Amino acid sequence: MSASTHSPVLKHHFEDLHQQHASERLGMWMFLATEVLFFAGLFAAYTIYRMLYPAEFEFASSKLLWSIAAINTLLLVSSSFTMTMAIRSAQLGDKKALARRLLITAALGSGFMGLKAFEYATDFHEKLVPGELFQSELVSADLELNGMTAEQAAAYKFDDAKHEHWAQELAKHNFGKGPGDEGFISPERVQLFLMFYYVMTGIHGVHLVVGIGCVLWLVVETYRDKIPPENYSTVEMVSLYWHLVDAIWLFLMPLLYLAGAGMHH
Amino acid sequence: MSDPHHAPADPHGVIHDVDKPATLLGVFATVLLVSAVSIGMSVGVPGLGKMALPLQMTFSTIQAVVVLYFFMHLKKADRVVLLSAAASLFWMGILFVLFLSDYLTRAKYTY
Amino acid sequence: MSIVIADSSLAASPPPPEPEKGASNYLNVTSGFWSWALTVDHKRIGLLYLVSISLFFVAGGVAAGLVRINLLGNNPTEHILTEDQYNRAFTAHGVLMLFFFLIPAVPGVLGNFFIPMMVGAKDMAFPKLNLASWYVYMIGAMFAVWGVLAGGIDTGWTLYPPYSSRASHANVMPGVIGVFVTGFSSIMTGLNIMVTVHKMRCPGMTWGRLPLFVWSLYATSFIQLLGTPVLAVTMILLGVERSTGYGIFSPELGGDPLLFQHLFWFYSHPAVYIMILPGMGVVSEVLTCFSRKNVFGYKAVAWSSMGIAVVGFLIWAHHMFVAGISYYAALLFSMLSMLVAVPSAIKVFNWTATLYRGSITFQAPMLFALGFVVLFTVGGLTGLFLATLGTDIHLHDTYFVVAHFHFVMVGGMVLGYFSGLHFWWPKMTGRMYSDWWSRVAATIIFVGFFLTFVPQFVLGYHGMPRRYPNYPAEFQVLNVLSTAGASVLGVGYLIPAIYLTLSLYNGKKAPANPWSATGLEWQTPSPPSVHNFDSMPVVKCGPYEYAVGVDQMGRGLPEPPGEGGGPIHGYGKTGPAGPMNKETEVVG
Repeated sequence: MSASTHSPVLKHHFEDLHQQHASERLGMWMFLATEVLFFAGLFAAYTIYRMLYPAEFEFASSKLLWSIAAINTLLLVSSSFTMTMAIRSAQLGDKKALARRLLITAALGSGFMGLKAFEYATDFHEKLVPGELFQSELVSADLELNGMTAEQAAAYKFDDAKHEHWAQELAKHNFGKGPGDEGFISPERVQLFLMFYYVMTGIHGVHLVVGIGCVLWLVVETYRDKIPPENYSTVEMVSLYWHLVDAIWLFLMPLLYLAGAGMHH
Repeated sequence: MSDPHHAPADPHGVIHDVDKPATLLGVFATVLLVSAVSIGMSVGVPGLGKMALPLQMTFSTIQAVVVLYFFMHLKKADRVVLLSAAASLFWMGILFVLFLSDYLTRAKYTY
Repeated sequence: MSIVIADSSLAASPPPPEPEKGASNYLNVTSGFWSWALTVDHKRIGLLYLVSISLFFVAGGVAAGLVRINLLGNNPTEHILTEDQYNRAFTAHGVLMLFFFLIPAVPGVLGNFFIPMMVGAKDMAFPKLNLASWYVYMIGAMFAVWGVLAGGIDTGWTLYPPYSSRASHANVMPGVIGVFVTGFSSIMTGLNIMVTVHKMRCPGMTWGRLPLFVWSLYATSFIQLLGTPVLAVTMILLGVERSTGYGIFSPELGGDPLLFQHLFWFYSHPAVYIMILPGMGVVSEVLTCFSRKNVFGYKAVAWSSMGIAVVGFLIWAHHMFVAGISYYAALLFSMLSMLVAVPSAIKVFNWTATLYRGSITFQAPMLFALGFVVLFTVGGLTGLFLATLGTDIHLHDTYFVVAHFHFVMVGGMVLGYFSGLHFWWPKMTGRMYSDWWSRVAATIIFVGFFLTFVPQFVLGYHGMPRRYPNYPAEFQVLNVLSTAGASVLGVGYLIPAIYLTLSLYNGKKAPANPWSATGLEWQTPSPPSVHNFDSMPVVKCGPYEYAVGVDQMGRGLPEPPGEGGGPIHGYGKTGPAGPMNKETEVVG
């Protein structure tokens, strides 16, 4: 212990660096526990509705862009790897590598957010947004089928037949059916899923933006020589948070994007 | 600070517990591979039906465990840290079990 | 467990000399606005909390006063508020009192101030986080105050959708944001306390030697950490639904409003233990000190705190028995709700056993603590009526419920808080308050409280629903009685505000250990110096060695004050402080 008592990074109210690091680590883990419970509320709500409305959740999920989510998974897992490598650099006192790896981590995280933004834009363009956009799109598809027999409706080709729009597909699927009928996919509950989609990815995105901010702060601290090897735990604290955000994505991804990914086969 | 006899080059006992890059790379590859399997299975294998969700969640859990254990260093964490991690999962379990105790036993929805 | 003293010669050692007061203490070491606004000293942050929660206590009290005055009349012609204003008044009372007074009261003020001192540390583990928690609390509070002042919130503090999300035209959003933001402050305080207790204990301060106040706040923090985030996400979902008109609780999308209630009570039921557990901790300290006896069943009291923290998470749906949850779930939650009575009863029995054959003196902290035990017992037992599925269907959402939780929250928690404030006031400020007036205030509060809330039990049993401004004429006598009691209670609260403030200017200078208590916090001068201890304290024995008469550092205790403020020997009573003067039961 005696060696660590004279470090300039030791805060005055701690006895030694060991105590300081152990406190920081425990504090961070307790914070992560709160984060787990924070998302647990969302996951529990999702579970209950998915249990109640499986068909709607699968239908809505199948309209999301799983390919973007897959690339995002790659980006995020890679960022977790570079983040852990950054801890190593900090421990070894390799300032250059530390800064480089942190910057790569932040870049990968930003890439995730960029794709996310692109995905949101696409969803808006497709009018996969609960509320008036969703309803007007569905109503116009319904109107096109108005007055047909069941056979005509099933065989009907919309203008854009190659890429059948979700509203057209839903209108054809529900043709002649009403709430309570076998196989009816309730448009309201499709919107319920979309609420989950926006809220869950939105909250996750906010967490990631905070994470990127923290990583960039670490870069600044690195250049200010504030992260000597004995203070590597600062990097580790940010990395713990970063990995948790990553781990949560690993659950969000199948729940939101893969729930209905097998529907078209 | 488990080892009080640090080498002179390592006065703070930092270097002796650095991760091996090979381990990290292995973990990285594992997580990616499991993701690929999960996505491939969900997208490419028709007729999974009710099995899809449990399988996906199993894969995600494997990934999360590996991330927690290696990336988040649960393997060298002290007991209190393990306890905090376990407590958060246990409380999440309470949330799920007691929520479902209501929803699974309700009279069937008629709307 | 037997009494733990390593060296029997400790018992004979004389009380330590009055610790030398340095030139500076934490209050006068620096001055000016920024020295307080940017302080990271846990003691100053405790005082910041003290000032702010006192303000919200007054504001919530005014709202309660409006509600009670309005209930003097039973129909609109006799009311001072319109029905709409009445809704806003009781919501303001609930939101301010719960989120901005009860939850931060003891952890924020007494916890911040005394946890580091009790475990022998210089400060909390994360001083900056500690300051941040106060600022976050104030930001959240500003949102809530904005909501209350600019139009008010009319949903009740529980904010149930779809009323709160769709129907209400009141100012709900600021309230939701305020609750969301304040939650973070609660998490920060809880996290800080937990890490401090884990990692900052001084040598010799084992878990078995922690004062029970520390144990109870540890259990409280545990709930804050695991419960509050669920409330936070619930508030986000509610906010999204209110601002966009679409959300996962909307019935027209197939959403289930009951899901909100599940999520809300997953936090808010444990939150009542966030409110009451710290009070239990204070009472464990005070009862022991003023009966000059070792606490009875240290381990039982400590572990029952943890028991309450855990079991408290399993019982939330008893708030929803008539809301539409399944019968099986209702039965399950009814049974689990009974369970929490067990650790609560363990505490009450142990406190009673602590009092048994003690040399009790009735200073103000002790009067408040005894009030706590009595009122909490009534509140707790009536809780069993509500946990019972059958009776709850009759009593649900009546004044019986109101009386029940006010017995626990006001009778329990507020009295516990006052007890702690009076117990530690000399340490915090370095001044003694008026002994006579403080006893008078304790008595008035106790009487006023009974007068306010016992009629409400009767009202509720006869079926008067809560949150209704109008009621049948035959309920008027009881309502007037209750309002009369509330006025007495109000006077009771005013008196401490006066004598505590006066004590700052002309109170007697307090010695380091005015109550002859054993905890580490009494080993510092009053008021404490900036870093609490000149040198790292070393703990040699358990927290309540009153029988042997040694403090936690193994040194003798000064003479305890007797009735009327003088030393106890001056009144010819058996002095319990000395090791040999009294027949003591050593139990632990």
